[in-house]
Amino acid sequence: MRRPVQALLLVLSGLGLLQATLFSDLFLRYVKEGMRPLLVASGVVLLALGAAEGWSSAARLRRAPAADGASARDPHGHDHGHGPPWVAWLLFLPALSLLFWAPPALGAYTASRETPQAVTVTGQDDFDPLPAVSPLPLTLGDFTRRVQQDRSRAVQGRTVLLAGFVTPDGSGDGWYLTRLILNCCAADAQSVKVHVHGVAAPKADTWVAVTGTWHPSGTLGTPSAEAGLDARTVERIARPSNGYTDGPPLVTR
Amino acid sequence: MHSTDQLPQQQPDTAPDEDAVRAREWPRHWPLLLLGAALLPGTALVVLGRWTDAPAVLAWRTVCLAVCVQALPFLLLGTALSGAINAFVPASVFQRVLPRRRALAVPVAGVAGVVLPGCECASVPVARSLIGRGVTPAAAFAFLLSAPAVNPIVLTATAVAFPGRPEMVLARLVASLAAACAMGWLWLWLGKEEWLRPAVRHTGHRPGHSRWAEFRAGFQHDLLHAGGFLVVGAMAAATFNVAVPRSVLDTFAGSAWLSVLFLAALAVLLAVCSEADAFVAASLSGFSPVARLTFMVVGPMVDLKLIALQTGTFGRAFAVRFSTATAVVAVACSALVGGILL
Repeated sequence: MRRPVQALLLVLSGLGLLQATLFSDLFLRYVKEGMRPLLVASGVVLLALGAAEGWSSAARLRRAPAADGASARDPHGHDHGHGPPWVAWLLFLPALSLLFWAPPALGAYTASRETPQAVTVTGQDDFDPLPAVSPLPLTLGDFTRRVQQDRSRAVQGRTVLLAGFVTPDGSGDGWYLTRLILNCCAADAQSVKVHVHGVAAPKADTWVAVTGTWHPSGTLGTPSAEAGLDARTVERIARPSNGYTDGPPLVTR
Repeated sequence: MHSTDQLPQQQPDTAPDEDAVRAREWPRHWPLLLLGAALLPGTALVVLGRWTDAPAVLAWRTVCLAVCVQALPFLLLGTALSGAINAFVPASVFQRVLPRRRALAVPVAGVAGVVLPGCECASVPVARSLIGRGVTPAAAFAFLLSAPAVNPIVLTATAVAFPGRPEMVLARLVASLAAACAMGWLWLWLGKEEWLRPAVRHTGHRPGHSRWAEFRAGFQHDLLHAGGFLVVGAMAAATFNVAVPRSVLDTFAGSAWLSVLFLAALAVLLAVCSEADAFVAASLSGFSPVARLTFMVVGPMVDLKLIALQTGTFGRAFAVRFSTATAVVAVACSALVGGILL
């Protein structure tokens, strides 16, 4: 890899990172919010490295314009033996992908493939009383825990408001209101799903807010209960800026 | 169609007197070449466009890019540290800090892994520059293996992922340190220097050269080198992530021994960051604690992206032997420690 190409690669990678963090929220499709300062710092370092490389290449070119080919192959061979191998070319893929062709956030396809469940049944039984609002905004995880672990059955008969994206149910009965939750990056996404009954499924990957009551199936307050909802209303919403968390829906009414 | 046939033939024609031809005239078939240049990318784009709309391909690209983006800051940290060690730290420092006896240097280096926060991507270039500065490879490898697993960030994440079970954190710490030291001693016993690629030998600071220029050159070289292999590893991990449905997991959860081996293999294939693997392990609730401990001990030491990084840094002869041995030792250590503590 010639030196000017290395400079170009470093600058492109730096620009890609800055574009995804400073000038847009693209990075939230791949990693968590907390990574932003690290990624901005990395982008700046990469830009600086690329600029330094470009400057020193240009300076060398000015000193010995005739020996262009030779200087590109690193006259200071003693610095590090040899240039980067062919495999460094692969770094152009993430850099260009971030700049021009960023893939979307994970969605229904990933959630439908039986990712590990983010809600684990624990021995928790000290549930706070539910606030007396209707509809009651809950996260999908809270709703699941209320249904499967809350012995006091506080959720019984309550109208709840949940939000997530649509994942079709392969078996054809209803659909899933879904969230994908990251621990570190999109490679370890886990899902939390609530089975929605009574309303025809919107298009996969649509973000919706759903109101409804618990769908009676199994014994409420025990793991035998299904985290399901008899839906009353389904309303399209915009994808939250950080869709990879299990936050409660924003109440607009 | 015709133009594509012409392309390969063009090369041999011009190869013998390449310089002369290129300097004086266009290739004879240049209209066909132009046509090919105009048509091929278009066709490729259309075919690619169709294909890349598939949800599986989009998910693959997202996961692959996510692994790269997540790992890049830590890779930068590691390569910057590696460049700095090479340019600024005299070799005598390590001889003073580490015990003279190499067998003693191994556990000291293993415990020293506590100071390098972050993922496993950072530790490979650092280990490489440590070897270049005269640290015995056995100690450098102990550091390489322990650093991603025993640092405070990872241990905190483990404690958060397994609430109310401090023995899991302790077991992870002990098993990881044990495996790292065992690998260091194994290298003293059986390891051969010729497995390491000669380029591993960094030169360090040379009198008469600017230390800053040396730092920048080493930093940049290591970064591009390791970064390329990181992309390879990310691609492999993304392929596994998208191609294998997670329901396969449950088939192995029943048997005690199979589940340990299976989660060890899963740790290698998934290539989850060491900061996140505790949460993944916690989510594998169908498996025994020992199997989940194995997942957390093997993951930071051997996985697809690390194997790719090690191949790039130390050479294939080393990476194959080292990764295989590490996997075996790590499984044995976690089974042993898990059997006692969990």
